[in-house]
Amino acid sequence: MKKLHPASVAVRSLSRSLNTGFVFFLIGVVVSPGGNGMDLLSILGLVVVGILTGIVYEFAYYQRFRYELTADTFDVTSGVLSRRTRELPLGRIQNVDIRQNVVNRLLGIAAVHIETAGGGETEVSLRYVSEAEARRLRRQLRQGARTDVEAEDEDSLAETESTGESPAAAADDEALLFEITSRELAILSVFTIDPGASVLGGIALSFASGFDPATLIPTGRVEGLPGPATGVFALAWGLFLFVLAAWVISATLTFTRYYGFRLTRAGDELYYERGLLQRYSGTIPLEKVQALTISEAIPFRWFGYAALSVETAGYAPGQSGSRGTESAIPLADTDRVAALARAIEPFGPIDLESPPQRARERYMVRYLLVVAALVAGAYVAARYTPLERWYVAAILVAVVPVAAHLKWTNRGFRVGDRYFLSRTGVWRRTTKVVPHYRVQAVLHEATIFQRRRHLASVTADTASSASFFGRAATAHDVDADRGLEVQAAIEEQLQERLRIRKHQQPADRWGQDTREPTDDTSMVDDDEA
Amino acid sequence: MERLTPRVRIVWLVLAVVRAAILGGLLIGGAIALSRIEIADAAPVPLVPSAAGLAVVLAIVRIAIAWRRYGVWRFELRDDDLYIRRGVFTRTKTVVPFVRVQHVDSRRSPLERTVGLATVVVYTAGSRSSDVAIPGLTPARAEALQESLRRLAIESEGEDAV
Repeated sequence: MKKLHPASVAVRSLSRSLNTGFVFFLIGVVVSPGGNGMDLLSILGLVVVGILTGIVYEFAYYQRFRYELTADTFDVTSGVLSRRTRELPLGRIQNVDIRQNVVNRLLGIAAVHIETAGGGETEVSLRYVSEAEARRLRRQLRQGARTDVEAEDEDSLAETESTGESPAAAADDEALLFEITSRELAILSVFTIDPGASVLGGIALSFASGFDPATLIPTGRVEGLPGPATGVFALAWGLFLFVLAAWVISATLTFTRYYGFRLTRAGDELYYERGLLQRYSGTIPLEKVQALTISEAIPFRWFGYAALSVETAGYAPGQSGSRGTESAIPLADTDRVAALARAIEPFGPIDLESPPQRARERYMVRYLLVVAALVAGAYVAARYTPLERWYVAAILVAVVPVAAHLKWTNRGFRVGDRYFLSRTGVWRRTTKVVPHYRVQAVLHEATIFQRRRHLASVTADTASSASFFGRAATAHDVDADRGLEVQAAIEEQLQERLRIRKHQQPADRWGQDTREPTDDTSMVDDDEA
Repeated sequence: MERLTPRVRIVWLVLAVVRAAILGGLLIGGAIALSRIEIADAAPVPLVPSAAGLAVVLAIVRIAIAWRRYGVWRFELRDDDLYIRRGVFTRTKTVVPFVRVQHVDSRRSPLERTVGLATVVVYTAGSRSSDVAIPGLTPARAEALQESLRRLAIESEGEDAV
């Protein structure tokens, strides 16, 4: 059984002490004698107690934490107050991630996170082990997972164990798939809107202004503007500053996040690393890929760029830091993204079947109703406020056909021999590629409005954790009968794929090392190859 | 295509009535509270009666939906999959291949027990709404269904779903 890196006591204590110290600071403020929170000495005392508690706890945690990599499981014994012993079968491991922040990098330690499909959060977090140990774990966990699946004897594992720290053997067959260029990084940083940045921007602004928004308004400095700083002008200026701050922060965050992004491929898994200050790296086992998503958001689409997400069942939804579909190419040439996606899953050309034209009529009606509601809202507003000319809102009607058409053209689907493809989204066009053998269930849904037009939506559900965000592979508004055909076809292909895989399994799995991902195309019929 | 036991309508109707009563209580209570406090002008419409009317309409809609739901519900154990058709407004046809069945539960709420019914829940590893519940089964049928699903899931012995 192994222990964590000794430095982890210090690092963990530091972050723990900040927390407990702060909690005890609050307690001190609340309970300090006199109730006015001014008794500095007792507050300080409590803070010290909090920090010491944190340090003691972390030391006990370090003492209690043991892990071991056996031939087919990864065992972890941990817990200070309540003890916990876990055994992870190596074949069940989905992703292995390594994270390092600045402090970790200075100390040469790293956090290792191991994801499995079950449960809502990361299954095992090793915080922290030495960098070399992290690399060794990552390699051997994945290798163990492979040998476990292959039901091979333990020779290969023992072998790598003996060669231990020399990464040469593993690095040999590593092929660089993608490396972000500075141009791509610049475009990505400039146009990405980080949702957290607006909050940070707001906080930064309030600090900069000394919590008095009035100081930010350049009264007297702007000579050319008529009159004094009116309320509207002040508001606009404040808004402008806020947007600027949020944008700068967002760009900086994105830049540091994706700086030095590299995607390599070793054997049957992908390996990515990225980050300027905080280093992230991780593995994506190709045999566990649930779905691929190519997304082309609007500013990037204009530049001819796209992003790729590789979805596994490992990441929990909404999990902080990992962002569900971390395992992705943040931005690259559309052609390049398509090529990379095909290298992972050879899904052939994306020639999609459009939804019937009555789907477009449906969108027309929908948008017309929205415009009608807006006009009605404007009318009500005009009645009770000095606003006039409420009917101006009706101009929006001109946009309706365009919007409906765009929505219609951006939707499509295809049922191939091995893959189900679906595309939707005007602003952020996402194309999902789902291998048939990953499908869990097929849903054919028709709302009351869809049934009026004999339309339906067909969803191929997978175990991908990203579909929790409602981005499952759905063919929207297809003809209801065609939808039934699609549903039947997906299911049929799933059974067919499973049969083929069962036959191929022995040969396929034993020849793992030489196997190319496109090998599977041998099973593909002519129209896809 | 197999239909549910007609008694399931009792369960759904009772649930609909209870839920409608709770919602109606909230609506009418809110209306009473609003009419008690002095707003600038007296409300232009009689608040309490209109709230009561709304509550009654909603209750009727709920009950109608609960009644209609029985007519729509169908399920079938086919060769390779479980096929389910349901939904009053959104008509959903779900196909769950037996290979993908992770485990099968049978459960009985107090209400179901008094009527003598059971629900079978089929779980998959899928993330969206592909875990399906088949309500309105007699306990014997539920047990048989659970057993055959279990058997079919084992027979089809798929490889790892994830």
